[in-house]
Amino acid sequence: MRYVVAGYVVILTVLFLYAVQLLWRRRRLSRAVARVTSGPPAGSAAGATSGGQP
Amino acid sequence: MTDLAPAAGASAHPTDAPVTNTGVTPPPVQSARARTTERVIGVLALAGTAVTVWLGMWVTPPDKDQGDLVRLVYVHPGVAWVALYLAFGMAAVSSVLYLWPRTRSLFWDRLAAACVEVGVVFNVCTLVSGAIWGKPTWGVWWAWDARLTLTAVLLVLFLGYLALRRVPAEPEVRARRSAFVALFAVLDVPLVHFSVNWWNTLHQGATVLNPGLTLKIHGSMAWTLLLGFVAMTLAFVWMLLVRYRIGLLEDWLDANELDAALAERQSEGIGSPAGADPGADAPTGAARPDATPDGTPVEPAGVV
Amino acid sequence: MWRDAALVVGKDLRIEARSRVGLSQVAPFGIVALALFAFALGPDRAIMAKGAPGLFWVAVLFCTVLAVQRSVSVESADGARDGLRLSGIDPAGLFLGKSAAVAVQLVVLEALLTVGVVVLYGARIEVPWLIVVSCALGTVGLAATGTLYGALSSGLRVRETLLPFLLLPIVAPVLLAGTRIFQAAMAGGTPSDGTQWLRLLVVFDAVYVAVGVLLFGPILETA
Repeated sequence: MRYVVAGYVVILTVLFLYAVQLLWRRRRLSRAVARVTSGPPAGSAAGATSGGQP
Repeated sequence: MTDLAPAAGASAHPTDAPVTNTGVTPPPVQSARARTTERVIGVLALAGTAVTVWLGMWVTPPDKDQGDLVRLVYVHPGVAWVALYLAFGMAAVSSVLYLWPRTRSLFWDRLAAACVEVGVVFNVCTLVSGAIWGKPTWGVWWAWDARLTLTAVLLVLFLGYLALRRVPAEPEVRARRSAFVALFAVLDVPLVHFSVNWWNTLHQGATVLNPGLTLKIHGSMAWTLLLGFVAMTLAFVWMLLVRYRIGLLEDWLDANELDAALAERQSEGIGSPAGADPGADAPTGAARPDATPDGTPVEPAGVV
Repeated sequence: MWRDAALVVGKDLRIEARSRVGLSQVAPFGIVALALFAFALGPDRAIMAKGAPGLFWVAVLFCTVLAVQRSVSVESADGARDGLRLSGIDPAGLFLGKSAAVAVQLVVLEALLTVGVVVLYGARIEVPWLIVVSCALGTVGLAATGTLYGALSSGLRVRETLLPFLLLPIVAPVLLAGTRIFQAAMAGGTPSDGTQWLRLLVVFDAVYVAVGVLLFGPILETA
């Protein structure tokens, strides 16, 4: 039975953590986009801290 | 996610220099309907998963042969189906659609990339849950049986896809490369499938593995199994939507942030009284070219 | 297409003949790999003879990676790749030519490694034609897929680490088939086991050669 619990915990944790990571990435990126679009000079050049994901 | 409109307010610039969002195209906007759909799917996925867990862990009875281990059957095939067929299958189809000239669009490329990334996560879940089920059932964490091996090979193939995508390149070039890799990987799947099947059957006598699940599923167990499939599929769809959006935003930022930073740099050089941005430390190297595009060295902010 | 292929084969083999990289580096590396396997598996000749089929093919896979890397890097010097495209060479011919050149080098290496395996591991070959045919078919598959992935990753600075990672899982069927066929062909094996694997190799080769001939043009445009 403890295998069953372990199995459920692992699957749910992995999926949950991935989901959280997705949400966090999206939030970070939309903030970066907002900074870039609010544009110079009001926006900060720190828009470059975003993904720029190779 | 707020609707982002191009900043019209940036035209409130003290000088006459036309240095507002030069070259910055409008960012991708997510419609309210898309946002709602995504929320609904997410909630349904969460609820479905919770109910599956509740049913699987407590409500359904233990199996006659497998005992409590059957409870893992409610989630394992669900994640496996999502990873191997749904996610990677969609990735393959999207890749082909990208390569096909008539349907070529970066939409398919982004979709494929999202499918692969989410698929890889589900693939890992499949392997791990399979191993956890296998240990008490077969006595070993891992066995080189045909299905497990194929799943592992798929994981490696698509990790390769993700690795290739991380190489910096123009979006079209990257899309093409990735699409070819996905195509070749998919072509390989039936070949690997047959290979490992034959590889295994030659040695079937030596192992005591039961390759299939000889379960008779009925009643509440059947419903729970079905719900497991549905819940995992909904979870996949939700993750896909979010991951696609992330890809869209990343591509937009790649294309535009340098232009925006350049524009801002130019505006600083012209001596805008806004001066240094509050709280902005030195921007990353990429946003600080050493000279404006026409070659004149840029003075530090604040110096006219 | 065939004329272009012949031109490219000739060019690559001539480069190889002049630089002798295959002979002086890849072949010794193959032998070193065999020696490493021997160290790893212990001095018991029975175990090594039993493992010889698999070890042979793993060594061949490593040599394939090296040969393909070399085949790709030959083009990246002095803008040769652009020159090739400008020359109007048929991409399918280019694919066939480069694959053939890699295949030739691999066949030579395999002959060497077969001798190595017989001598170093005490493997005994009972059905030589199976060995020869499986090497031929396996080589075609390895060369074709290697050339495809080489083209996809050419020009990338991470090619050295990325190419093996991309290529080796794809050629798993060749490894499986080659090993099984060698086992069937060696002492203690049943030759009839080998024939279904030969069919698999034929299918594998057909698929990836066809893909290369049809798609090498668009693939080159990604470089």
